[in-house]
Amino acid sequence: MTIGEVVSVLGVKAGFPGFDSLPIHVNVVWDIRFPRAILGAFVGGSLAVSGAAFQGLFRNPLVSSGVLGVSAGAGFGASMAIILFGGDTFLVYVFAFCFGILAVVLSYVIGTNYTSTPTIMLVLGGVVVSSIFSSLVSLLKYIADPYEQLPSIVFWLMGSMASARFRDIAISAIPMWVGMAGLVAMRWRLNILSMDDREAQALGVNIIFVKGLAILFATLATAGAVCVSGIIGWVGLVVPHMGRMLVGNDNTILVPTCLSIGAGYLILVDNVARTLTGSEIPLGILTSIIGAPFFVYLLKKTKGRGW
Amino acid sequence: MSIIEVKKTSFSYGHQRVLENIDLTVNEGEIFCLFGPNGCGKTTLIQCLLGILRPSAGTIKLRSRDIRNMKTVEIARELAYIPQIHEKPFPYKVIDVVLMGRVSYTGLFSLPKKEDRKTAEEALEMVGMLEFRDKPYTQISGGETQLVMVARALTQKTPVLIMDEPTAHLDFRNELTFLETIVRLVRDTKITVVMATHFPNHAFYFENSSTKSQVALMNDRMFYAQGTPDDVLTELNMYNIFNIKSKLISHEWEGESFKQIFPIRTYG
Repeated sequence: MTIGEVVSVLGVKAGFPGFDSLPIHVNVVWDIRFPRAILGAFVGGSLAVSGAAFQGLFRNPLVSSGVLGVSAGAGFGASMAIILFGGDTFLVYVFAFCFGILAVVLSYVIGTNYTSTPTIMLVLGGVVVSSIFSSLVSLLKYIADPYEQLPSIVFWLMGSMASARFRDIAISAIPMWVGMAGLVAMRWRLNILSMDDREAQALGVNIIFVKGLAILFATLATAGAVCVSGIIGWVGLVVPHMGRMLVGNDNTILVPTCLSIGAGYLILVDNVARTLTGSEIPLGILTSIIGAPFFVYLLKKTKGRGW
Repeated sequence: MSIIEVKKTSFSYGHQRVLENIDLTVNEGEIFCLFGPNGCGKTTLIQCLLGILRPSAGTIKLRSRDIRNMKTVEIARELAYIPQIHEKPFPYKVIDVVLMGRVSYTGLFSLPKKEDRKTAEEALEMVGMLEFRDKPYTQISGGETQLVMVARALTQKTPVLIMDEPTAHLDFRNELTFLETIVRLVRDTKITVVMATHFPNHAFYFENSSTKSQVALMNDRMFYAQGTPDDVLTELNMYNIFNIKSKLISHEWEGESFKQIFPIRTYG
């Protein structure tokens, strides 16, 4: 297909007069590529923004969007749905989403003592919960039917956006949008949450409520992304760092920047995943293979002074 | 006029009593020093004042309002806090850190406005740090950081500043710069200061610079003595609380008198 043909398809769909294209072209551009690009933008944006938010919240540039166990929980939910219902896509989404949320709730409960949620306790809660759900995923793999279910589980865990249709986007876009919009709206508060709890409270922030709200938004965004795309690593870590190196650490600028870079980055990597070899490479593999060395490059280039 | 009133306040961590029957009144425009040995309860008292810890008994009133009926954001408009040492999680610009003092005037989903930015710049100017405005605050010294913390507290536009051993990590000169800044602020803006300290000479410094000041000598959960630095920081009290031999001296220089108490030796 030529660029002209792609433009014609978009012209036809947008209802401009004077455009004409073949049904097969419409099918490829409008029903397959376009939703996939949109989904890529949403997923990348969600992972990047929630990663940046969690880094601020935990006062640590090493955490990513999965720090409270949302990816591990979603992986377990998806695997269970594949085994129980034979991989009906809708149920896989629902299960992945719900278990992703459940994992964060568990981490939060573990990390709360009396009336406060100390950062280190939350991180430990996330480690414990992630580890439990990973073990449970292994258990499910072990008991899964090795010809049908096991490959599905493995492929789901590698992450992919190949299944993207407008219907999928419509379902998962709601939590992603709520999460991203919430974090963008409260982005200045993220600066203050990165201060010591006592200081933040003395500045006039109701720590329990505001921290809880930030965790809620970040979790909605991540769970919404993971449930349609599977586990895509490194985006929630690398993209916020690119942002920090480009525009600095002030979340009022950093959060919108991460949104854009994350969206663009994932569309780009997804295109590479589709075109690099004859058959498609799972996206989660590529984000790690590209992301990790790129991260090293960034760190060396800025000598770690970016943060 | 009294601005903070603490009555019969006690606090315990579990079964461990940390504060016992504390009574204190801080008056408008004065510097109130909390002085006492390590672990006597100064920091706990400060956290009770800030509403971060809840006393198990007694009342704390800020300008006649019971602190228990005040929301976090309301307390933050009465009291601003300067920590002993500030941990820097990210290399924010100095101005961005100072701007955080405006959070109690900004809605949850709002950004700071132009006026807030102006307030922050004015505060930086007041502590003499305006030239550091756009520097990453990880690249400034400990003394400069404490001045940035003062600027951040000033942008809260509170009648009271609360400080927990603010000079504990500062060098000789920076400590003096800090004290000079505080005295200047109290004189120029009529702000009230509550300051926990390990150095009796801080209280004398305030008295020497003719700033209205009070000292509460704390020991083992309670106030041992309370009054002007002259009344409280005596050789006898130093002996009773710290078991040390000390000497109070007074020195005349260019027509002004400077008082200091200096330690001589410990008793076994």
